[in-house]
Amino acid sequence: MWGDIITPDLFAAALRMATPLALAAIGGTICERSGVVNIALEGIMLAGAFFGTVIALATGDPWLGMIAAVVAGVIVSAIHAFASINLRADQVVSGTAINILALGVTGFMMERLYGHPGTTDPSAMLRPVFKFAAADGGFLGTIWNWINGIFLSHTPIVYMAIIIAIVAQWAMYKTRWGLHLRALGEHPRAVDTVGVNVFRGRWVAVLMSGALAGLAGANLTLEQVGSFTENMTNGRGFIALAANIFGRWTPVGSYLASLLFGFADALQIKLQIFRGQIDIPSQFFLMLPYVLTVVVLAGVIGRAVAPAAIGKPYEKE
Amino acid sequence: MSVLELSEITKVFPGVVANDRVSLSLERGEIVALLGENGAGKSTLMNVVYGLLSADGGHVLVDDKPVKIKSPRQAIDLGIGMVHQHFMLVEPLTVTENIVLGREPGRFGVIDFATAREKVQELSVRYGLKVDPDARIMDLSVGMQQRVEILKALYQGARVLILDEPTAVLTPQEAKELFGVVRSLVDEGLSVVFITHKLEEVMSVSDRIIVMRDGRVVGETKPSETDGVGLARMMVGRDVVLSVEKGHSERVAEILEVMDLHVKGDRGLEAVCGVSFNVCGGEVVALAGVSGNGQTELIEAIVGLRRPTSGMLRLKGVDITHASARASIEAGVSHIPEDRRRRGLVLEFDLAENLVLGDHRLAPYATRGIMHPSAITTTAEKRITDYDIRTPSWHVLASNLSGGNQQKVVVAREMGRNPELLVAAQPTRGLDVGAIEFVHRQILKERESGKAVLLVSLELEEVLSLADRILVIYEGRIVREFAAGEADEETLGYFMTGGGGTKLEDEGGTEQAEMTEGNL
Amino acid sequence: MSESRETLPAHRAWMTVVQKVGTPLISVILAIGIGSVIMWASGYDPVAAFAALFKGSFGGPKQIGDTLLRATPLILTGLAVAYGFRAGLFNIGAEGQLFMGGLAAAWLGVALTGLPWIVMVPLLVVAAMLAGAAWAFVPAILKARIGAHEVITTMMFTYIGRYIVSWLVVGPLKAPGQIPQTDAVSIESQLPRIQALFSEATLEALPFLKLGRTHLGIVVAVIAALVVWFILKYTTLGYENRAVGFNPWASETGGISVQWTTVKALCISGALAGLAGAVEVMGVHHRIFDQFSSGFGFTGIAVALLAKNHPLGVIPAAILFGALSAGAGTMQLEAHVPQKIILIIQALVIFLVAAEEIVTWFIKRRQKEALSHVG
Repeated sequence: MWGDIITPDLFAAALRMATPLALAAIGGTICERSGVVNIALEGIMLAGAFFGTVIALATGDPWLGMIAAVVAGVIVSAIHAFASINLRADQVVSGTAINILALGVTGFMMERLYGHPGTTDPSAMLRPVFKFAAADGGFLGTIWNWINGIFLSHTPIVYMAIIIAIVAQWAMYKTRWGLHLRALGEHPRAVDTVGVNVFRGRWVAVLMSGALAGLAGANLTLEQVGSFTENMTNGRGFIALAANIFGRWTPVGSYLASLLFGFADALQIKLQIFRGQIDIPSQFFLMLPYVLTVVVLAGVIGRAVAPAAIGKPYEKE
Repeated sequence: MSVLELSEITKVFPGVVANDRVSLSLERGEIVALLGENGAGKSTLMNVVYGLLSADGGHVLVDDKPVKIKSPRQAIDLGIGMVHQHFMLVEPLTVTENIVLGREPGRFGVIDFATAREKVQELSVRYGLKVDPDARIMDLSVGMQQRVEILKALYQGARVLILDEPTAVLTPQEAKELFGVVRSLVDEGLSVVFITHKLEEVMSVSDRIIVMRDGRVVGETKPSETDGVGLARMMVGRDVVLSVEKGHSERVAEILEVMDLHVKGDRGLEAVCGVSFNVCGGEVVALAGVSGNGQTELIEAIVGLRRPTSGMLRLKGVDITHASARASIEAGVSHIPEDRRRRGLVLEFDLAENLVLGDHRLAPYATRGIMHPSAITTTAEKRITDYDIRTPSWHVLASNLSGGNQQKVVVAREMGRNPELLVAAQPTRGLDVGAIEFVHRQILKERESGKAVLLVSLELEEVLSLADRILVIYEGRIVREFAAGEADEETLGYFMTGGGGTKLEDEGGTEQAEMTEGNL
Repeated sequence: MSESRETLPAHRAWMTVVQKVGTPLISVILAIGIGSVIMWASGYDPVAAFAALFKGSFGGPKQIGDTLLRATPLILTGLAVAYGFRAGLFNIGAEGQLFMGGLAAAWLGVALTGLPWIVMVPLLVVAAMLAGAAWAFVPAILKARIGAHEVITTMMFTYIGRYIVSWLVVGPLKAPGQIPQTDAVSIESQLPRIQALFSEATLEALPFLKLGRTHLGIVVAVIAALVVWFILKYTTLGYENRAVGFNPWASETGGISVQWTTVKALCISGALAGLAGAVEVMGVHHRIFDQFSSGFGFTGIAVALLAKNHPLGVIPAAILFGALSAGAGTMQLEAHVPQKIILIIQALVIFLVAAEEIVTWFIKRRQKEALSHVG
């Protein structure tokens, strides 16, 4: 039985499931490093998922859908940026409002556009990048099938997430932008006094997190599901935030933490197939990511040090 | 030709004129001291120059050309650098990263860390400011951090350097070194504005002195043309008594006993390493030391805010080693915390609510969990009168009071409780002369009424004028004990900075300290 | 930006008044205005929509009853969130605590038989409050001991709680039949409707008492608001709660245990949310099922914010949101506007109240312009 569970597609599924979490988590990392808490990832992701589907349905082109998802993410995050940076609103409250807003706007527009609540029609989807033949048997053949299955079977955004994690990690520690970002979340006044614009720096970070969370939404609808369902993000934005914390506010760390959560999710789905042998109610599997997140928070967050100025609006004297 | 000239600068805050047509000029290679009490408008003025605040009127001229400075960036571009009272350093970043922040060498947005490091070392050698370019700021001492700040300004090409209260956080020795650095900067052609409220610094370091009071320039002089008393009069606007009259007091029974106390700091390292001493009724025992040598942790242990790892605390013979803050208040310990805005007051509470904080569970303010507003306001009104808190009524929120009045609220609450032991941590920090006098008199009143007072202060003047006994703390150990009148600032400064090593405590506590006192 | 902080004293005093009294009101008006623009831009008639909405929420005793019915759990979740906010805690997971409270009431209401109403109702209420408190307890401990952010943990517990209920109503506690739900609680466990308390003659004489489905839970909710108000204003518990919310460090100096206060605050908050679940079960559905709450826990956040965390302000705020939700059906039916517009308006209210400066922003801008003309 375990031979049927531990297969290449279990790990491939883990990578797939990790992708939306990882993109949103890296977005969260960038945002929080700049000193802005982004609890709105959930809503931004939902908006990205919705508008991605809307454009893909309208044009038949999933790539345009993906771009629309990113643009939607940026626009929604701009609201958060304006509220929490310019208006100095409580960042958690602003994020909560955006989550409710996204739920309302997507639901409202869905009925306006398609005349019914629930789920949209299926849209065109992004296809896997590579298509390699499976080898027949033999030791090398098995190895090839594992590599092919796990790493070479994916849709574009899955690879984008990996590239983004690495590039963001490099940029955070090697570039001017990264240095300013790291300083912003720790001591914004120090950054201000050397003439770097705090507001602009935070705006850019929040918008980037919006773009990434929007892309995460595109992955959900345009690569994984193929249609949009109301409230389909189902807490992924919050799990992404936890992944960011687990990854200690670094892009690669966020990716790896997301991979762990993605694996749990993939295992859960896989195990449901073996309902007969392993008789655990599916709800228990479904709550696994949430339980795991609490466990992670309970064990690790106490020692993980958040950026010092996180959540505090910056005010010039 | 003046490198910097201010003409008729006016800055208005809601309800306060912080700068009222202030004019001054700074020549090349000159050190100007800007002297004034807290709240005289010195920092506001310099923040205007540095582009952190915008003036409501007046002009700034750099090299005789009028300029509009709207942001620190513009100030930096004009060659103006500033070292703030609270350092503008990013703790988890390295020295190099902090220095080059905002002006990083490199191409296409990628930082050339090798060049950055080289430039930092070059500057460090040129001005004799030794630092490790790869160290993280959070691992450096305060004096070192200040060097990084100065290097940062130099890296940015400062020709005018503004130092805002630079010695507030330094030991006397570190301050002396700083003065040396300032001298060498001026020799290299820089000009320095030195903001301070300490008279002796002004006398020793500056070429010219500008005195501010209530937002105006009230005088200009040179060190050679004045003395401390004259400056003080100019600064305060009246004659000040520089020390308080200490009345007679009997040293009575032992109140607080600290035995071989060990306490860990926030980072898990031992901050207090086996400290023993006692405080008796009717005496003020002062703990003198440079900030960060375990005083904070020691106090927090005594008042129940931090658990000691080992050792013993006794209050009138009762073990309070592991007492909570609540138990410790109820046992008779009062605490004037070091940071009144953070630790002492709930700024969003009104004065009545603040004046019973800590006693709020006890009769007559509350019985069985139900509070009695009338009892609370009666007490509040009495304390407002007794301690001369300037406020229209107890309805006012603590955040609306001035710093001095806020401190009076804390003092009123903690002394009004009628404690056995008063622990006062930097009770006069940031207060003006009048308020300092008031707090000092209150502390001595406690002493004269037979209470035990443990005073922690970084101000040696305060320690010397109030204490009956002085304990010098260095790196978590008590390294020397002096009786009042036995030590002067120089001696204390020497031991505070580790001049005497830490060997005394290693050999066995206070007995040893008393024995070796004679050797001094 | 710097200029905007430095308005003249007279203006400031005036603006403080505006902010304290007017912000919630102006926020609601602005939110409805923006909502109207959205409807208009989407091709709907906002006037007809709000007319229908008003008709559906305040058009008659039955409609008012519907509004109060929905306001009932919102008062309680609003109190839950507000009490947490007063201790500086953001209980975003009231929804999960509400589910657990509802679960406790639904389970005990079926399991316990033969006890009179006077015993059952208080018993279920207390059990539900304990269940809600228990569901907040782990996040509370994690917050107090290691600083794990309660926003994430209470949210996670919401999802966990919902899956537990979802499992129980298809599994161990499922009532016979096709629908995934529990058995109905006993009649002794139910909160009667207000109109059932009066005789037919009284109702004929006083028709405004025909409040439809409104049940005694509204009385429970109002009492809860009064109790929370008393706690915050007149007890050491409330004093310490507020002190920790404003300044935990100073509270510590004053001998208040911040950790213990945090645990108490979040558990009391959870208990209030659990009570909301109980009144929904005992007064409306008489059982629990997957969708028995339409996001009352989340709407409670909007209620608390609109009330500026004042326990008595929670009542009108909850009635407002109750009215929006009660009238939404009529609005969809008569003006054909999707009900989801209500969520949009709700989000707008949160925004506008949270970013107080949005409301005063325009005023300040104008002042700034005026000042720059002078200077």
